[in-house]
Amino acid sequence: MLENRRVLAPLLIAPAVIFILLVVGVPFGWAIYLSMTDAIGGSLSGNFVGLDNFTNAWSDANFQKALRNTLIITFASQAIVLVGAAVISHYLIRDFRGKWFLRLLIILPWAAPVALGTLGWLWIFDSLFSVINWTLGHGLGIVDSTDPPQWLGRPNLALLSVIMVQAWRVLPFAVIIFLAGLASIPTEVDDASKIDGATGVKKLLYVTLPLQLPIALVALLFGIVFTAADFAVVYVLTQGGPFNSTQMLTTWSFQIGINSGSLGEGAAISLYLFPLLAVVSVAMLFFAKRAQVS
Amino acid sequence: MNQPLQGVRRKLPTYLVVVPFAVVLAFPFYWMLVTMFKEDLDLYNAENVPYVFNPLQWRFWESATTKHVEFLFEDTQYPNWIVNTAIVGIVVVAITLLFALPAGYALARLSGSWGQTAGIGIFLVYLIPPTLLFLPLSPVIARLGLQNSLLALILVYPSFTIPFATWLLMGFFKTIPQELEDAALVDGCSRIQALLRIVFPVSLPGILTVVIFAFSLCVNEFIYAFTFISSTENRTISSGVPNELIRGDVFFWQSLMAATLIPSIVLALLYNSFLDRFIKGFTGGAFR
Amino acid sequence: MSDPTSELDGHSSELSRSELLKRGGAAAFAVTMFGALPDKSLGFYGPLRYQGKQLSGELKILQWAHFVPSYDQWLDSTYVKRWGEQNDVEVKIDHINNALLFSTASSEVAAQSGHDLFQFISPPSSFQKQVLPLNDIVQEVSKKVGPMSRVGRRSTYNPRTKAFFGFPDNYAPDPVQYRRSFLAEADVNLKTWEDVRKGAPKLKRAGHPVGLGMSNEIDSNMMLISLLYCFGGFLQDEENRIVLNNGSNRKGAIEALELMRDIFRNGMSDEVFAWTAASNNQAFLAGRLSMSLNAISIARSAENSGNTGLSDDTWLASIPRGPVTRLGNEHVMGVYVIWKFAKNKEAAKKFLIDQQLGYREHFVRSQYYNFPAWTGAIKGGFKTIRAMTKQDTHKPRGKYTILTTIAEKYTTNVGHPGNSNAVIDEIFNRYLIPQMFAQVAQGKIAPADAVRDLDREAKTIFRKWRAAGLV
Repeated sequence: MLENRRVLAPLLIAPAVIFILLVVGVPFGWAIYLSMTDAIGGSLSGNFVGLDNFTNAWSDANFQKALRNTLIITFASQAIVLVGAAVISHYLIRDFRGKWFLRLLIILPWAAPVALGTLGWLWIFDSLFSVINWTLGHGLGIVDSTDPPQWLGRPNLALLSVIMVQAWRVLPFAVIIFLAGLASIPTEVDDASKIDGATGVKKLLYVTLPLQLPIALVALLFGIVFTAADFAVVYVLTQGGPFNSTQMLTTWSFQIGINSGSLGEGAAISLYLFPLLAVVSVAMLFFAKRAQVS
Repeated sequence: MNQPLQGVRRKLPTYLVVVPFAVVLAFPFYWMLVTMFKEDLDLYNAENVPYVFNPLQWRFWESATTKHVEFLFEDTQYPNWIVNTAIVGIVVVAITLLFALPAGYALARLSGSWGQTAGIGIFLVYLIPPTLLFLPLSPVIARLGLQNSLLALILVYPSFTIPFATWLLMGFFKTIPQELEDAALVDGCSRIQALLRIVFPVSLPGILTVVIFAFSLCVNEFIYAFTFISSTENRTISSGVPNELIRGDVFFWQSLMAATLIPSIVLALLYNSFLDRFIKGFTGGAFR
Repeated sequence: MSDPTSELDGHSSELSRSELLKRGGAAAFAVTMFGALPDKSLGFYGPLRYQGKQLSGELKILQWAHFVPSYDQWLDSTYVKRWGEQNDVEVKIDHINNALLFSTASSEVAAQSGHDLFQFISPPSSFQKQVLPLNDIVQEVSKKVGPMSRVGRRSTYNPRTKAFFGFPDNYAPDPVQYRRSFLAEADVNLKTWEDVRKGAPKLKRAGHPVGLGMSNEIDSNMMLISLLYCFGGFLQDEENRIVLNNGSNRKGAIEALELMRDIFRNGMSDEVFAWTAASNNQAFLAGRLSMSLNAISIARSAENSGNTGLSDDTWLASIPRGPVTRLGNEHVMGVYVIWKFAKNKEAAKKFLIDQQLGYREHFVRSQYYNFPAWTGAIKGGFKTIRAMTKQDTHKPRGKYTILTTIAEKYTTNVGHPGNSNAVIDEIFNRYLIPQMFAQVAQGKIAPADAVRDLDREAKTIFRKWRAAGLV
């Protein structure tokens, strides 16, 4: 009986599905319920208000800023990650002296627990003691050391800082996935391309990159998820400031739902993330299927 | 073995690309390394060079101090937090593999087109942020009597590692040629035997990748870690460090840097050796 | 550092490394994993024993990690132990970072389980429906030591529900801390805000600017709200109605905004928009800032750093006077709540009463950070407090006596002249006031428009909480 695909398949999948349904599904349902109430102060019930929380959020300028920022931060940082990882992994797959050590350095940002690594960046961007500003000011003399750039104090700089930290911590993750993908390219392809005379950049463009496409999409997809649903980086660096210019959906929903006590509203804001990521991931999975090289 | 100089010249483009990246990515850690040994008077002086110890001298250990690191290990519960984090990570990874391996295999091989949809479905579940989920999860944790216990985290973490692992493993299993299993089946193995004896060993690199990522997701998580556990001795490093080393408006920067650097290096070393294993695993794989 | 005698009795919330090794890894593993079994709650250290006898009750407290670590150490290993033994209650006290008080509280409310006593550092108006009204114990304390301070009452009493939703325990006055030598050299004084405006450019030129933040953090929040009071720009009136855009309030708020914009443009730099709560401390301790408004953590950190050149030169003063008044906020308002789901409500109430009645020791141990919410809790009231602050040995002698003056005359609650209600709570937690000042200072919006916008936003928030029945 266990040989029957139709029995075996659900049997193997069932444990995972049941676990997820219980741990995530039920609370998720509850959260949806909360988003349609006026619950406050941690209480898990309230009066039903229909879709009011969603429409109120939509018309709020801060929410729109948060939505925009989520998109900007995610796509900007992941663009950097994608290009960087593609380039690095291309060279890192080869053998050369010092490779183990250099690879170790490259992995470090991903190995740091995100809350702690971001605390390090908080100090790196500090308003007075920033090592970047010291280098630019005292070291290189490019900026005025009595009035250096405030990486977390001016809206566009703050946004840039968040993007840089996200790119920094996700890059090693993408490199690892790319390496896995590259390592799985059969040597026959490698040999064939050598015979055809495609080496170096040509090889990169015409052989490696197309073959890497499915893997690249996996890295991009997870990178997007890790960045768009991330809370720690913005919370630790800017708390969404200066004046809400770096809020993302996750931090804004925390601000409203927890710190201001409007739980129903916070839940609604959070839920805007779901369709956003769903659209992106379905689109990418679709392209991944199309791009699958058989 | 080539003469080093010739080898380096040929590999020059490699170094030109990799080294700058490595430097940029790792410089915060060098700087953390220096900061954690700095005296207060050295650190809180904006004029001082941040990359070395001041007053600058070759006997740098006379301008540096280990007292902040000692503070971290002796006057906070840091060793506890490390143990807690390790326990949670290891157990959750085991649970993840237990659920995700069969599920990933089933989705890759056995389920045809609805497998794709199920794959997307599992993945979507992953997209609900913990900033939303921690509140409805709190009564569940409380009712199970798991408040303030590591078991709360062990129960909840697989909820975001399993979908991710399943999806990743599904992808890896798909790259293994069907012929391998068919050969085993022809030889008289049952499907389950084929699974255990042929498929899993060959997909070891994929499994190792999942281990790395699942573990790192557990170490990174901090919202559940912070809200489900309130006693300092039961915390993990993600929640313990910000809690104890930031008091009101005083940040213990040197200890914070030490607290970050130590697990980062250990984990990076771990991941790096796993990477070796699975790259070797691929190049020595069964389909050559 | 745990003191030797407390180890003998088995309970300490500090764990030294040798202790950890002593207890053994396996035991640690087992107890840590299962440390929160319901009804037993052995925790990591095993049950508290008093002379070999197990204590019968249990009380769980959660509060912020005090910036003075020695206060927490004393509290955990001496005070609660002593109280617990005297009342036959095992007390477990946890400390968390103040930034995460609200999320932890929300989680406990959602779970309907957690600690018995929960201390916030700002009035937790949004949790009113989840807590016991504490009118009874408030009355009991008032009977014994006299009425509570105005700031305590306005922070915890809801006139609409006629209930005290929290028990005010302590507050921290908010003095100016300044470098006397810098100010003397630049010939600047801080008697009025106009003096500050005139003096800021001079101090900046001397390389020691003033430190008045406009960031999303507590110091900026408190200082700017106090500034509004001094100029008469009150957000709400005595009846808790939003009146910012009316008459004299509007005028006062606009003047305050213009003042800060002026000070920023001529006397400060961009850094004040990127500050954390620690930034002004750090900048002051680095010898850069000439003055800042902050609880006494700056002065105390200066003393602890061993840099007497700095700490002897650090003096305290009250907030500068504005055209309308001289008034400031408390920097921290310690309010305890008892959750409705608390398991040991009796012990919780007794703990609060006893703690307030014996507040003298807390006042001293916190290095004068914690002033009691009932001034009479220290026998002799402000007169005694002033005499106590005079005892401080740090130079210049008697510098902490000004704290008493500030507490007595110039400290009020956030939301003055109204209550610190849910509306104020939300405005405070969302940093709407620092944001308003920052936007005006950066030239992004005109003062009049900013005032109008904040008024409008505040009214929206007001409507929401009125609908919830809390204001």
